[in-house]
Amino acid sequence: MNKRNLIRGILYAFLTLLALVCLIPFAMMIVNSTRSNTEIVRGFTLIPGKSLIENYKNMMYHMDVTDGIFKGIWLGYKNSFIIAVSVTILSGYFSALTAYGFYAFDFKGKKVLFTLILIMMMIPSQLGLLGFYELNKALKTLDSYIPLIVPSIATPFTVFFMRQYLISTMHPALLEAARIDGANEVTIFHKIVLPIMLPAIATMSIFAFIGAWNNYLVPLTIISSPHKYPLPVLMGYLKGGKVSENLGSMYLAISMSVAPIIIAFMFLSKYIISSISAGSVKE
Amino acid sequence: MKIKKYLGILLSTVLVTTSLVGCGPKKTGEGEKKLEVDKTKVLRVWSFTDELKEPLKYFEEKYGIKTELTIVPTADYASKLQPVLDSGVNAPDVFTAEIAWVKQWVDMPYWENLSDAPYNANEWEKDYVPYVWNIGKDNNGKVKALSWQATPGGFIYKRWIAREVWGNDDPAFVAQKLSNMDNFMKAAEELKQKGYKIVPDEGAIRWFAKGSEPKPWVNEKNELQLTQAQIDFMDYQKQLRDKEYSAMAPEWSPAWFASMGGPIPFNAGWDKVEEAKSSKKVEVFGYVMPTWGLHYVIKPNAKETAGDWGLTSGPSPYFWGGTWVGVYSGSKNKGAAWEFVKMMTHDQEFLNWWYKKTGDLLSYKPVTDKVKDTAKDDFLKGQNHYEFFLKEAEKITPEIVTKYDQGIDQIWGSLVSEYVDGKKTKDQVINEFYKQVKNAYPEIKTPLDK
Amino acid sequence: MNSRNKYGYLFISPFFIVFSIFGIYPILLSLYMSFTDYKGIGSPFNANWVGLQQYARLIKDTYFLQAFINTWKIWGVNIVLQLALALILAVIFSDVRLKLKGVSLYRAIFYLPNLMTVSSVALLFLFILDWQHGALNGLLLKAGFISRPINWLGQPQTAQLSVSLIQTWLWFGHTFIIIFAGIEGISKDYFEAAMIDGANRTQTFFKVTLPLLKPIMIYVVITSLIGGLQLFEIPFLMSQNGLGGPEGSLVTMVLYLFNQAFKYRNFGYAAAVAYGLFFIILIFSIVVFKGMFKEEA
Repeated sequence: MNKRNLIRGILYAFLTLLALVCLIPFAMMIVNSTRSNTEIVRGFTLIPGKSLIENYKNMMYHMDVTDGIFKGIWLGYKNSFIIAVSVTILSGYFSALTAYGFYAFDFKGKKVLFTLILIMMMIPSQLGLLGFYELNKALKTLDSYIPLIVPSIATPFTVFFMRQYLISTMHPALLEAARIDGANEVTIFHKIVLPIMLPAIATMSIFAFIGAWNNYLVPLTIISSPHKYPLPVLMGYLKGGKVSENLGSMYLAISMSVAPIIIAFMFLSKYIISSISAGSVKE
Repeated sequence: MKIKKYLGILLSTVLVTTSLVGCGPKKTGEGEKKLEVDKTKVLRVWSFTDELKEPLKYFEEKYGIKTELTIVPTADYASKLQPVLDSGVNAPDVFTAEIAWVKQWVDMPYWENLSDAPYNANEWEKDYVPYVWNIGKDNNGKVKALSWQATPGGFIYKRWIAREVWGNDDPAFVAQKLSNMDNFMKAAEELKQKGYKIVPDEGAIRWFAKGSEPKPWVNEKNELQLTQAQIDFMDYQKQLRDKEYSAMAPEWSPAWFASMGGPIPFNAGWDKVEEAKSSKKVEVFGYVMPTWGLHYVIKPNAKETAGDWGLTSGPSPYFWGGTWVGVYSGSKNKGAAWEFVKMMTHDQEFLNWWYKKTGDLLSYKPVTDKVKDTAKDDFLKGQNHYEFFLKEAEKITPEIVTKYDQGIDQIWGSLVSEYVDGKKTKDQVINEFYKQVKNAYPEIKTPLDK
Repeated sequence: MNSRNKYGYLFISPFFIVFSIFGIYPILLSLYMSFTDYKGIGSPFNANWVGLQQYARLIKDTYFLQAFINTWKIWGVNIVLQLALALILAVIFSDVRLKLKGVSLYRAIFYLPNLMTVSSVALLFLFILDWQHGALNGLLLKAGFISRPINWLGQPQTAQLSVSLIQTWLWFGHTFIIIFAGIEGISKDYFEAAMIDGANRTQTFFKVTLPLLKPIMIYVVITSLIGGLQLFEIPFLMSQNGLGGPEGSLVTMVLYLFNQAFKYRNFGYAAAVAYGLFFIILIFSIVVFKGMFKEEA
């Protein structure tokens, strides 16, 4: 028995070490956001400093005054939030609609169209990046959120996932009953199908939200005006601006940019993790 | 070709409908020769620093027109503004350009042609420092952008260090000490003996390389020109590193800014330097910076030592940066836009005020002529920076500015630092330079093409 | 087709309208652009048609080749570490004899980095790895692991390794969750049978666990490959001017594409690079897929 305990001890030590490796960058980030530039330049310590408020003021001052983004990081939150929520709603609703269309009806070209969706799942988004940029230039939708939000109506993977979900959970009898009652198809979808699909929609929504919140390359190419930058682009932009002259302020900005996700994760971690597990096993 | 035709038709029909409503940078109707100033519209301005902030406030008060300034840092500015100018969506009425890409834009249809009616700016030519005026012109000699400033460079140093090392802090004396690169290196050695670093980083002297053999990167035949001076300066940079004459604080890094205020830690990471006996903390002697560097970079970072700095010339004259401003050709608010450009560059009252506020070197002669004899800068111990900079401005050769400068400067700079780090030989650097330039700009001819 | 089934078209039409405009059209437009010398100014339809010239350049382009190699190196180191770590963790946690506690807590901690905004992560590590003032060198120096600061991002090998390790840091938790779920999904009968046959832990792992995990491993490798070959944010934000220094060691394929397009405005060529990238991903996905199934046949 002793040997097993020893192994266990070693394994726990290993796991704890790994957990530390995961957490230490966050610790460095948080500690350094409370220290002044000179303190950081002088060397590293895990003891918090006293410059948090000063760093915050300096960061906001430079974002507002010298970098020209009024309300600074809070505006970045707002922009990211607007984009992410819109994307989540659109992709959730329209993917459910499309998945149901493929599930419940037989129409000409169904197989071809569904295959097309499968193929598009495999294509890297960079392939169309330049065309996407040119399209939006021609449509006069550069520097707006339309190119960031509207395309989420067509999210191939989510449609695929939801169709699989429908196949495994939906009872056709339920639909038949509703049809006999004289409900029309649009009503059936909204009253009966959508509620049944809610768990799948919720799962996909989390990933849609995180994906949209963290998206960098597309907004980087599409959005020009600093007051429209979502948070990730704003962060990259700070690197070249006045805020980065003060390391404490920069660490603070980074901490603030990831804070909402860390907080959300604390509440949703169980759910998120079981979603990943479920998603992969179904493949 | 058939494929081309079909593909082209197919793809372009989709765009036709949308481009009909377009309002990009196109020439507006002929009848619009007179400019009207609409006070109800907000004047939108794009720039890459906050230096227009105060002038815009002044403008708002003077004209009663609301303004909105958008700032994008230098590194991203050109790539962020380009799509805006190209498509006309959310475009500014006035936008600025830095010297590194101003040439790229004067030949584009983005700025209004200020030479012709209703602007007729040509009449003003005699009022400006010649090089500033010339850089704002396009290939056909039409003025596209103007500037209120001239930006010749100098060597800005800490006087107390000069006193300690040489017993003399006089600008003329220090200029002698730095009069050519050999002297510069001697001075660096003398400074090192007393624990000082002549420059913050090796790249600082790159401007002298350009200044000592002023040729454009790309000549009129579209051929890349690497001057002997640039090649020689690779060795000067390497010397600075190998002999530890620099403080290893890269330009624009937090350490670089900190070095203006006082000593900074010198913890070498490169193997070679690691064996050196450099003391832990070092102080930088001086900065190779132009007019704006003095006012907007050094002054705010060296508040405690104000009054004990000096300004002098280095081994060769040079210029760095400068902001040009013009009216966006797609603007619907050209009247107010032109008023702002005029105020910024041709309004004696404003420019006087601006001079008093910032001490910045102006390019507008009616004002500079008046102040150049009496100007003094308390930060520089009362030295007349105007007289100095104006003289340096006369030595500037605008022909060396090309539209490729930003890209090629970056490529060359990073390759030279690989040489300085000892990662590449000189020949490798030169060969790699030709290859990388060709790769970025296929239209440029390099010696490798032959 | 009865009238009810026409609703199918109604239900899927929003998807396909948007899909055609924002999904398929840009891909075709990129293809068209790759046959022109378009410079990103004005409209691609006014640019000169140059046929296959851009692709001819792509094939001979040593910088693209370097970007290709860099991307593979960075991805390769990362996927090996990530899979190894994830497998080890999954095996330890699923071992019935060890009965380790705290799975869900560890799992949450391991997964946390994956949720971070990648651009923030890139900046964070840019500052942490800074050789002069970075927290990592500070920590290592204090702990006595190193005697002088290491210039992590200043040398090609350490810069690439840094990015690989950051990628591993970001993704091993995710992979662990998937593999762990896969092991949990394997019927206990297999393990019991192996135990009855007298197999030890190592034998069980190689003879039972690993073969049964193969489909999941393929899924992990392919998705990681598709993501890894598109690596952009970290090298872009962690190098000066986004150029992918030192010595171009962090120039990945997408970074190369981005700079050709948005820095040097060679849109036509950049479009050809995008198609090059696409074919590479396609070919390697097929190779991985076939290669991993082959052994069974």
